[in-house]
Amino acid sequence: MTAPFTHEHEFETQDLMINMGPQHPSTHGVFRMVLQIDGEVVRDVIPYIGYMHRGGEKLAETMDFRQGIGWMDRTEYLAQHNAELSYVMAVEALAELEVPERAQWIRMILCELNRLSSHFMFTGAFGTDAGVFGTAFVYSFREREVILDLFEEISGDRLMYAYFRPGGLAWDVPANFERRVAEVLKSTKQGIKDMDGLLTENEIFRARTVDVGTISAADAIDWGCTGPVLRASGVPLDLRRTEPYLYYDQVDFDVVTGTNGDVYDRFVVRVEEMRQSVRIIEQCMERLRPGPFLPDRLPRMLRTPPGEIYLRTEAPRGEYGIYMVSRGGNRPYRLKIRSSCFANLQALRDMTIGSYVADAVVILGSLDIVLCEVDR
Amino acid sequence: MNHDLFGFEINVWADAAARLGLIVSLMTVVVMGLIYGERKVIARFQQRLGPTRTGPAGLLQSVADALKLVAKEDVRPKSADPWVFELAPYFVFVPIFLMFVAVPFAFHWEIRVLELGIFYVLAVSSVNIVGWVMAGWGSDNRYAMLGALRAAAQAISYELPLVMSLIAVGMVADSFNLTDIVRGQGQVPNIVWQPLPFFIFFVAMLAELNRTPFDIPVGESEVVGGPFVEYSGIRWSMFFLAEYAALFILALLGAAIFLGGWAWPLGEEWGLPWQLALTAIKAGAIIFAIFWVRVTLPRLRIDQLMAFSWKVLLPISFVQVLANGLVLVYEPPQHIADILLAAISGAGLVLVVMIMNRSVGKPRPRPVLTNRAAAATPPARSEAAR
Amino acid sequence: MTQDDAAAPSAEALLAASIWPQVDRALAGVSARPEPSVRDVIVHIPPDQIVRGLRALKQDRELAFDYLRCLTCVDNEDDGIDVVYHLYSIAGRHNLTVKTQLPPDDLTVDTATSVWRAADWYEREAQEMFGVRFRGHPDPRNLLMPEDITDSFPLRKDHPLAEIEVLQGEGVAYSEEPA
Repeated sequence: MTAPFTHEHEFETQDLMINMGPQHPSTHGVFRMVLQIDGEVVRDVIPYIGYMHRGGEKLAETMDFRQGIGWMDRTEYLAQHNAELSYVMAVEALAELEVPERAQWIRMILCELNRLSSHFMFTGAFGTDAGVFGTAFVYSFREREVILDLFEEISGDRLMYAYFRPGGLAWDVPANFERRVAEVLKSTKQGIKDMDGLLTENEIFRARTVDVGTISAADAIDWGCTGPVLRASGVPLDLRRTEPYLYYDQVDFDVVTGTNGDVYDRFVVRVEEMRQSVRIIEQCMERLRPGPFLPDRLPRMLRTPPGEIYLRTEAPRGEYGIYMVSRGGNRPYRLKIRSSCFANLQALRDMTIGSYVADAVVILGSLDIVLCEVDR
Repeated sequence: MNHDLFGFEINVWADAAARLGLIVSLMTVVVMGLIYGERKVIARFQQRLGPTRTGPAGLLQSVADALKLVAKEDVRPKSADPWVFELAPYFVFVPIFLMFVAVPFAFHWEIRVLELGIFYVLAVSSVNIVGWVMAGWGSDNRYAMLGALRAAAQAISYELPLVMSLIAVGMVADSFNLTDIVRGQGQVPNIVWQPLPFFIFFVAMLAELNRTPFDIPVGESEVVGGPFVEYSGIRWSMFFLAEYAALFILALLGAAIFLGGWAWPLGEEWGLPWQLALTAIKAGAIIFAIFWVRVTLPRLRIDQLMAFSWKVLLPISFVQVLANGLVLVYEPPQHIADILLAAISGAGLVLVVMIMNRSVGKPRPRPVLTNRAAAATPPARSEAAR
Repeated sequence: MTQDDAAAPSAEALLAASIWPQVDRALAGVSARPEPSVRDVIVHIPPDQIVRGLRALKQDRELAFDYLRCLTCVDNEDDGIDVVYHLYSIAGRHNLTVKTQLPPDDLTVDTATSVWRAADWYEREAQEMFGVRFRGHPDPRNLLMPEDITDSFPLRKDHPLAEIEVLQGEGVAYSEEPA
């Protein structure tokens, strides 16, 4: 229990302000929070973001729909396929493009694989935050590497894929795709088991995470949290289930929710989600048939009629929304990226006050923030 | 007494100087070896290779690191307290080396035989916390300050169980002289009679050394290296040297006090190389266990660490000392006393493990899985058809 | 929702099938104007009534828009700036887009932080990027930009993006090539 230290001091004490970040090993990039601490207890947290701000939304207004895809990778560098998906689906909805079936299945497979690689990144980084000396990190990265290799074979790049296109995909997947996915899934399943063994069942890990950074369902909703952070509080909001896109309504999977909304729940929800992702990919692989990967009639220069759409998908960190306003033409008039971490990070202050300094690090880690996505 | 290690007649001061020189040169080599060993061992645990480039199998990596550290600029922050900042490494470094005086490496191979060897070692080892606090205070850095205060709290908390566990062993061995304790273990090592003190010693040793899961004062992800955050170059490497020297020396102590040192199972008749090898193997086993713990366990929080010390380890080590006293004061026959001691201590160990399991191992609800059937999706009404 | 668009139904039919009737009922006393859109229904509410309308939408038992998905602005140049709220109801699983149009000479609107705390950072971002002032915001500092830049609003259309426009603007041959 992170009961705040309520001892009345007999002598006058002064709270200490500690500036954590932007260059601190566990702020996951360039995040800064100023902790006001009384001994080891955090009295107040003031988060500062914006160190990675690159004016992404303004830039996106100058890019045509093709160039925007590559830009989406750079906003969310751990779940690139998911970010691209929101963008291309927004363009498709505005331009009324039909996407061939094969492209949809491949998109689903890649998005779920991306969820796996992103969650592996989380388990590794979170292990380090909790103080495991690199082991969780190395184990996770080994698994993530296998997935990145597959992405590289498909798209030609390890990080910035730019593989989805409005209407489908840039090109078809390689011929050995099915065999490679099977290999990746095999190693991934073992990796999930390893993570469970190393962290989930570890007594010290539990002592550090259980009942730490608890947020109630009502608070999480009020703060606009999504994804595993919200589901750990027990709200089964998963856009793949509540507003199915792609073919998520045709596959069988479970929405994972926690019970307490603490750091431990956020961790196990993600680990369990990885298992569900494996399930989804296996079902997708069965249903994948040869066919076209782009619509037959695709204009060389894509233009959309005027209109606006707020298109959201379930990215690994939560709802990744693209609010696109088109005034006609080949580029968005306004593009707002609704970042999942941005909203999740708002709740940090509520979760952290009253806990210990060491918990602040773990709580921040459990939000799994990507600063590029927060600041855009 | 005026014989040096190799039996020559020699002046007392020259003898002392020779022995000190031996320690310092030995330690430097050992520490380099330990750093290399740790990097290799941890790398294997993490499916990496560790250092491979410098020298054959990376053996010269530590030498290269040492050269780099010595050649680096020694930076002192402008706002730091110059005297406190610059003296702190010595306060950490010297007490650790003083501990070597009493450690028995082999039969008649120790710097000095001290009648109260255990007390001497414990007394000297607790001095270095002054250096830690000096480093934290003198750096004028809030992370360093936080780390130093954590270190002080931790050292004070774990000093006590450490002392009590060694006192329990001293009672059983009927001596506080380290050499006598080792010689008394020719038949059976102390760990058999006193498993609980060994456990307490190991845990407290981890805390004294600031090793995972008790690396709270230096936690990289929290206080970014704690008291050392502002140090660089040679001063930082002195902290580092002290850390590994302490690791080595506490492992040697553990090997000598609990695992029979050079005496068990070969006895005193076997030659010096055998005895040295035995000591090295036993200390190595302890060091390996520490590395193993380091790569496996997350870090505890400061309040959990203190609670574990004051609520579990300290009371139970008092009970152990009392029980030992009760058994020994009535002077039962030797074999009965031995069995009683082992039984009580073993029961205590089981108790500690049970307490630990109860406090942290409470079952957690698994994540709830909601499937399609359960979530009867109501139609999303707001979605106007195209 | 259930009717497929056979021969493009009229806007009224679309709205009648959507969530608009309930919204209309919940927004009694607030002048609201609906507009069908690609996915979610858009409701226009004038700026002086916006917080009242949002609170009514949140507190309505049946609609229960308890979740603010997103809050942002769109610069319509001469027509002022739109503040756009994307709402969602977790229990009812329905969406709504609420818009309010601010005239260019008075970019002020009441804060929605009293309705959803989530609006906090979104409003701070909108404030520094568009210069919209959110009246009553608890912490109106800059969020993403340095705290001393308070007179420049990068996401407005009149804010120059000089070099990049030269490289990627209308002058580049391929970008305006007909399909």
